[in-house]
Amino acid sequence: MFFLQATENTIGFPNVLIFGTIGMFVMAITLVSVVVFHQRRVIKFNKQLQKLEEDKQQMLLKASISFQEEERQRIAADLHDDAGPLLATARLYLNENLIHQEPAVQLQSIFSAKQIIDDSIQLIRNISHSLMPPTLKNFGLESAMKDMFDKINGSGVINASARFHDNRERLTEEQELLIFRILQELVTNIIKHSYAGFIHLTQNVQGNFSYFRIHHDGKGILQSEFQKLNYNSRGLGLKNIESRIKVLKGSISFDIDSTQTYYKVTIEVPRELVK
Amino acid sequence: MFKRKTKEKSTRVIFYYLLYGLLNDVLGAFLQKMHSENFFILYAFFTVAEFTFFCVFYYYILPPGGIKKSIFFIWLLFFLFALTDFFLVNNMDAFDSFTVGVEATLIILMCIYYLVVQIKSTNNLLVYSTTNFWIAITFLIYMSGTFFLYIMAESMLNDKAFQIQYIVINAIFNILKNVLFSVAMLMKSSQVTPQMIQRNNHDDLLSFKLKK
Repeated sequence: MFFLQATENTIGFPNVLIFGTIGMFVMAITLVSVVVFHQRRVIKFNKQLQKLEEDKQQMLLKASISFQEEERQRIAADLHDDAGPLLATARLYLNENLIHQEPAVQLQSIFSAKQIIDDSIQLIRNISHSLMPPTLKNFGLESAMKDMFDKINGSGVINASARFHDNRERLTEEQELLIFRILQELVTNIIKHSYAGFIHLTQNVQGNFSYFRIHHDGKGILQSEFQKLNYNSRGLGLKNIESRIKVLKGSISFDIDSTQTYYKVTIEVPRELVK
Repeated sequence: MFKRKTKEKSTRVIFYYLLYGLLNDVLGAFLQKMHSENFFILYAFFTVAEFTFFCVFYYYILPPGGIKKSIFFIWLLFFLFALTDFFLVNNMDAFDSFTVGVEATLIILMCIYYLVVQIKSTNNLLVYSTTNFWIAITFLIYMSGTFFLYIMAESMLNDKAFQIQYIVINAIFNILKNVLFSVAMLMKSSQVTPQMIQRNNHDDLLSFKLKK
């Protein structure tokens, strides 16, 4: 009634008031709704991302545990299947009856036992070297990689080479071992899957970062394939590479050069120098 | 009792604002009953006081930054503008529509900025579970809803029909404002309590997480 009266008396003004008020009110409500819905969507998206990250972390942890278990099993098998029988045989040669034997037989038995003990020492040394390469420990990453490449070159199938541009200061033992394991895994993968003719490793330093790049002319993988294989593959190799990169707080990238001839894997690692 | 219950300064400011609003309404009704012309002064003073309360509240809720530092200057400019409008333009005997319009525009813009900050924040806390959000949207809705009403009040206040419209719209938005403020006051504190930390720690212990 009063609204109608107002319309008659003052043309336009009540309409402006009513529609203006309703309009402003609707605008405010819309604004608030947009904020609320947008925030809900962002939170949902963040939670999904967080879950994906957690899944990835779990997967890497499982891969790392599986790898450790495999390594332990391998060492256990080496010790049980090789060192165990060797030492048991040596013990047989050196049994209590040896003293009652002829001197020539005694000498023969002692010689055989010595041979077997030498074999056991070599076996244990090999196991130990597979855990921590002595060249790496004593002479550093460059020597260890060159040592590895020498062995590869010995096969005559692949030509492997390494060039370290700036290796004046050594990284910490832990970093060197992790980088060595990553490079070792990458080289093994190249030999196994890529049918490459050559592998070349380059190292350089820029600022506080060390860069390692492996070039090869075989069939390599790109970053997207690495991510895919890392998630879907049952193998532990790539997962171990990623978990080691995470420990190093570095990054890894897989790509191909502009001429589409050589695949390259680049590792970027923040340097931790020996004090 | 309220002071004891809530330790958040921003909420306390709103509590004092509501008390002041109540006192102002009572005084305004009394002056109108006495047919005094002084209630325009009361309205003008309320406009400035309302903006002051809002600025103080806004200062407490905003994260540190440029806008937070400039709140005082915004308030000072508005205060000078209100004084000029009231003493020189309105001559102390008319509704301060222009000042209210500027006040409403500033508050709406500041509320929108607050909402933008909330959208940008990485906090995973739902925005509508916080007291400050409810207070900010109360101001936004109230100022938007009464914007045209107060702007037109100066020229239309003598119109009988407009007076009724004024009473109805003002009452609706006042009720809405009080309901929304009540909801805001009922919201639990958004601050992290020791219990919440303990619960999160249990979550960390029980879940299979790698994150440190």
